[in-house]
Amino acid sequence: MLLMAACYGAGALASLLARRSGRLALGVGHLAALAGAVAGLGVSLGVLLGDPGRTLTQALPDLFPFARLSLAVDGLSAFFLLVISLVAVAAALYGPAYLRAHSPAAGPARQAAQVLALNVFLGCMAFLVCAGDAMTFLLCWEGMTLASYVLVVSEDRDGENARAGLLYMVMTHGGTALLLIAFLALTERAGAFDFAALRAAAGDLDGTTRTTLFFLAFGGFATKAGVVPLHVWLPRAHPAAPSHVSALMSGVMLKVAIYGMLRFGFDLLAPVAGPLPASWGWTVLVAGTISAVLGVLYALQQHDLKRLLAFHSVENIGIILIGVGLAMILWRTEGAGGVLATVALTAALLHTVNHAAFKGLLFLAAGSVLCRTHVRNIEELGGLARRMPWTAGLFLLGAVAISGLPPLNGFVSEWLTFQALLGGASRFHGPAGLGIVFSAAMLALTGGLAAACFAKAFGVTFLGRARTPQAEHATEAPPSMIAGMVWLGALCVALGVAPGYAMRLLDAPTAGLLHGPGASAVVTARGPLVLSAGLTLSGISATTISMTVMAALLIALAAMAWILRRGVRSAAPRTAPTWTSGMIPTARFDYTATAFAKPLRFVFAALYRPRREVTRETAGTPYVVRRIRYAGEIVDLSETQIYHRVQRGITALSRTIRARSTGRIYGYIGFVLGTLFVALLLFGVGQ
Amino acid sequence: MITGESPLGLVLLEMALLVLLGPLVTGIIQKLKARLQCRQGAGVLQPYRDLAKLFRKGTVQAETASGFFWSIPVLVLAATVAAGALVPVLRAGPPAFPMGDALMLLGLLALARFLTAVGALDAGGAFGGMGASREMTIAPLVEPVLMMVVFSTAVAAGTTELGALAAHRGTSWILGWSAADFLGFAAMLVLLPAETGRIPVDNPDTHLELTMLHEGMLLEHSGPGLGCMALASHTRQIVTLGLVSALFFPVATHGAGATDLLLGAGAFAAKILVLATYLALVESSYAKLRLFRVPQYLAIGFVCALTALALRIL
Repeated sequence: MLLMAACYGAGALASLLARRSGRLALGVGHLAALAGAVAGLGVSLGVLLGDPGRTLTQALPDLFPFARLSLAVDGLSAFFLLVISLVAVAAALYGPAYLRAHSPAAGPARQAAQVLALNVFLGCMAFLVCAGDAMTFLLCWEGMTLASYVLVVSEDRDGENARAGLLYMVMTHGGTALLLIAFLALTERAGAFDFAALRAAAGDLDGTTRTTLFFLAFGGFATKAGVVPLHVWLPRAHPAAPSHVSALMSGVMLKVAIYGMLRFGFDLLAPVAGPLPASWGWTVLVAGTISAVLGVLYALQQHDLKRLLAFHSVENIGIILIGVGLAMILWRTEGAGGVLATVALTAALLHTVNHAAFKGLLFLAAGSVLCRTHVRNIEELGGLARRMPWTAGLFLLGAVAISGLPPLNGFVSEWLTFQALLGGASRFHGPAGLGIVFSAAMLALTGGLAAACFAKAFGVTFLGRARTPQAEHATEAPPSMIAGMVWLGALCVALGVAPGYAMRLLDAPTAGLLHGPGASAVVTARGPLVLSAGLTLSGISATTISMTVMAALLIALAAMAWILRRGVRSAAPRTAPTWTSGMIPTARFDYTATAFAKPLRFVFAALYRPRREVTRETAGTPYVVRRIRYAGEIVDLSETQIYHRVQRGITALSRTIRARSTGRIYGYIGFVLGTLFVALLLFGVGQ
Repeated sequence: MITGESPLGLVLLEMALLVLLGPLVTGIIQKLKARLQCRQGAGVLQPYRDLAKLFRKGTVQAETASGFFWSIPVLVLAATVAAGALVPVLRAGPPAFPMGDALMLLGLLALARFLTAVGALDAGGAFGGMGASREMTIAPLVEPVLMMVVFSTAVAAGTTELGALAAHRGTSWILGWSAADFLGFAAMLVLLPAETGRIPVDNPDTHLELTMLHEGMLLEHSGPGLGCMALASHTRQIVTLGLVSALFFPVATHGAGATDLLLGAGAFAAKILVLATYLALVESSYAKLRLFRVPQYLAIGFVCALTALALRIL
């Protein structure tokens, strides 16, 4: 209980200290963030491992006369607080050395501002998931947005970052507006701001209002989560921030939006009895599937390491939403549906923490590369594995995890999602079942494409020869940065090899949200070493796997293969140049990222609409070529099809308005009076 | 329904059997191909001789290769062989202790492929990159279809555990087949050459840069490392064939007696031989497809698998 207060104390103190001290701010500010994160871990573990159903509440000082502020930590809040704290620990370890190494010329004022914003950002996220009323929720939501905006534009003062920041602000405030409407509609009915009152007020809503409110909230949260087609800000804003902040934005901030969806869908707006309206779950499932596939497809064609990772966040949010949508569809359906809903929600929550771990790790590793080379384009890197072995190894670990390959954690949550989808498909006969299976096939496609993308990203960045002097003279990152990465890497391995022990932590959120059996009662019914998914419909025992046994088997086999690999002669290997058909090998023989992804660009040309421009400069005859210029580009379909149209519409509208605005003051007064008149008229009709 | 449970010892024995017999299947396919092309061909034991030769040799490593390069063959071989532990060989029925299901098997094979591609990029030559790029283009298109075929049988059985799937199908296999089974099997026949790296998708006999996928990734491996990679591809082939027979022709019995095991072994050998003959026939009678025609070829499999699933669910 008191740990909670310590958490606030540390966060607030950190911001204060950061504001006052100059260069020291980096060390002290991050230390305070670390303390806050550890306190957050304590609070969340206390709630998750304590007696089920317990809610930790804490009143806050009254800032507003009309709303009482409070915090309430139940299972769901505690789980998301855990996710935030886990990544925050790594970011706090990694941050100081990164900011010093990446921009040594930055003045103390900028560094202090960055640390201040970081602490506010972390504090707002932690308070947001613990919020017990709508006012606290919205205040933290806005604080989180503003703090992350400051961090996005803090790095370099060039035009691109400013534009990314502006787009981020516009999009996310559009989303906030939707949220505000949803919340205010509820608070107006309830007459109070706390969640318990909102829940009670939502109890007697009619179906249409309930669904409208859900879609408003879903739209607001989907903007923040980067669901296609609302994702356009994400691949621009995330890479612009300092790398440990990118890790937090991708790994954690998007999850806060998932928290909001779960809170609204299963808790605040859920009907008192009976299943959720079918349209909710199906919308979430379809949005998730589209996000997963398009996210990874666009990631494949990115050559900016951090932007590539940001697109993968779109993909992984999609995978989480597939689980959430399925849980919504199956919740409170008769028969085994309830059990399957638990499996689906467990898969979604597990993928939430898994994605936080491996995406955090990958962003931190990308940050190490960035701070040593100052190059984000992977075509200009190469050969870093020999110069940065720790970073390379940890990036590879994260790459295997994010591709959903065994024996790491990505596989576990994708396996659970597949099992839930399969179970759902055999429950629903007809088109619904086929839709669910199609979503499973798309999930499989996503996994395969992610593996291709990370083979490219890892291979071109870390393997082969260095293509530029920057890559050639890179050195390993400082130990404190490696420590931050090792923490997240260890998390990936632990959650992959022994996921059964983590299920205990998922009990409180799943049981609390679904009012059914907890995660460990369903998924680890046969002991913590065995995962099982309840496909018990036809009376056959559920599918069971054991990650631990498979990992042990893999290690044993690798030891045997290692002996075999040494061969009969254990002489040291000779080295020789790579075979390049008899020519002297140079870095230009290495396969580039563009070339690597080209076959897939051809296969999915309908989605990419690739544009390719080759101009030749010849000397008189076409046979003597002086220079060939190549320019290639792919478009984001949602950008060209939706946003450019909207942009054209707004431009046309503003042209029309400009034609009406004459610059004469009485004209404007006339408009204002007219508007007032119409508003009063409408108000009178409403009365 | 599920009676037999295989003890861990039997599972490991089956796994070892798959590894030992993998090269023989390749040898048989090569011999069959040679006879179909009116050649004498090397003996069926030639892959074993090649492996023995490779493991006796020394290693030459590319100058540009990083520290990962040495361990790539070790990990690829381990992942592929671990996938072999999940295929029921002698008996149907799940193992006594849960290990993994069909999704785990496909995941391990995908892990092996991912690591092979990473290793190919390590040496820094254009051939390795080209092979890796093409392999990682084909793989994401094959995997979902393969998974749909698995789903189409799993939906009926309610499990994705291969031993339990085989046990559910029972011994009266082709008599009990429905239209969905035929379509799923057709999809599997389309995918089989792609998954085992054979014509019309890949050509295992060539090192010509225009045609190769998998071989291109192995160019910079040598000596025992190349031996590990070769053993991994033999194992991968027999594991894939084992997956097909577990999904569609599980003749193996549930009993634990010596006769039952012998019967299971004989049935498994027969099934693998039939599938190997199919691969040899396809390789001898078709030309390799252009790389950008392969997605269309795989689309046939996708349509078959989707129809199979639809029939199963609707």
